[in-house]
Amino acid sequence: MAGAEDFMETGGWRRRRNPRNTTSRLVSGWRIQIGVIRALMTRELITRFGRENIGFLWVMVEPLLFAGLVGVVWTFMRGSSEHGGISTAAFVATGYIPLTFFRHAVSRAVGLFSANSSLMYHRQVQVLDFVLVRFLIELIGAMMAFLFIGALFHVLGLMPIPVYPGYLLAGFALYSLFTFSLCLILAPLSERSEVIEKLIPVTTYIMIPFSGTFTMNSWLAPQAQQYMVYSPFVDAMEMIRYGVFGDLVEPIYDPVVPLVASMLLMAVGLALCRQVRRRLIVE
Amino acid sequence: MIICSNVAKSYPMGHARKRVLNGINFHVSPGDRVALLGRNGAGKTTLIKLIGGVEMPTSGRIRREMTVSWPLGFNGGFQGSLTGYDNARFIARIYGRDYPDLREFVEDFTELGRQLRMPVKTYSSGMKARLAFGLSLAIEFDCYLIDEIMMVGDQNFQRKCHVELFDKRGDRALIFASHSHGMVREMCSRALVLHNGDGTMYDDIDEALTIYDAL
Repeated sequence: MAGAEDFMETGGWRRRRNPRNTTSRLVSGWRIQIGVIRALMTRELITRFGRENIGFLWVMVEPLLFAGLVGVVWTFMRGSSEHGGISTAAFVATGYIPLTFFRHAVSRAVGLFSANSSLMYHRQVQVLDFVLVRFLIELIGAMMAFLFIGALFHVLGLMPIPVYPGYLLAGFALYSLFTFSLCLILAPLSERSEVIEKLIPVTTYIMIPFSGTFTMNSWLAPQAQQYMVYSPFVDAMEMIRYGVFGDLVEPIYDPVVPLVASMLLMAVGLALCRQVRRRLIVE
Repeated sequence: MIICSNVAKSYPMGHARKRVLNGINFHVSPGDRVALLGRNGAGKTTLIKLIGGVEMPTSGRIRREMTVSWPLGFNGGFQGSLTGYDNARFIARIYGRDYPDLREFVEDFTELGRQLRMPVKTYSSGMKARLAFGLSLAIEFDCYLIDEIMMVGDQNFQRKCHVELFDKRGDRALIFASHSHGMVREMCSRALVLHNGDGTMYDDIDEALTIYDAL
């Protein structure tokens, strides 16, 4: 984009220097986007959470409360341990934090182009930056909440130190990737039709049973298992749980499903974003 | 150079589309001072937004071969809920500028003092104009896009703009939408008159103003 070419490390914005080859243009474009994303994140955190009391730490409070309180309620409802002797509270927390992350990220993607349109006055700010920034803020909140509650539960003796950290990270990465690809589609679609905005809350609610939040796949009937594997969320959740609890759980998953689903959705989402940018009306 | 070739823009209006610009052709060389003239709704703001890259043309091409400021107008460019300082810091970051330098220039140019610590939405239009000019002058562009906003400034502000834009930065280009004959005559060397979606360029400002008055 033009904005990227205008920019240079020295001498500000006046004299235009034409980067000679594609690589250096890519590098300078990359550098600008990193700067823009940092500035946008700071701006978003200040406008959302302000500078009072704990400031941006609020971002992890809601997932934390959700996971903690639902864990307590479930402990009373279903007893203090699940299949395989896993603590109910720990099981719920590992599921609920990704779920709230997904629901927040998706709901914040709605209408985000219109909400941020005044930033289009600055050409180096791209619409993709908006999607990425809101997603990253929710992701950071979820990761901080996960770390916090994990440490707390470990001290209380409810959760082990992740047995297979690689699986935990890979599962979380796949969960995030799929969430991001959904944001990338829903953000432009919500600009084109208001129906989308109305349908999102009920859809995210209906999909909870297919999100792997409250059960392991192996606890289900074999007929159900073979279909659950086609849910990208279930695959990622199984990996996260296996990473945390190790062989106390028996994961049934296919990492290719979330990967391929994300790639396809992202390809469509990028095309939609481009189309919406061309039509975006800025006040 | 800024080269606009066959730039057209239409907006959806119910089931039909309203064509605002029908294919505008013109170019701006370094140091050119171009006035945009036209009645309310003729498409001056739309054209400035297209040149600034805020919106995309429906068809046609705009080539920017020099750096172009964001459109300085009554809307846009700022986040109303953030303070003047926060906006300045944001602008400094996305344009890769040193914040302390920029802040010093903005404090000096805007003379807004403690008001810079207030959210921008509490500013009057004159104060917004000061902030917008201060920031874009601090970034230094080859071409400034100005949409009316200078009109709302007081004498002191207009004098300052004159010093900064003409005395110190006489080599910069300017695209200036205005209804003020005085300012256009004083500041511009050419004028593009927009009418019914078409644009005609005049090298003689007085001729352009006569045509514009007759619209």
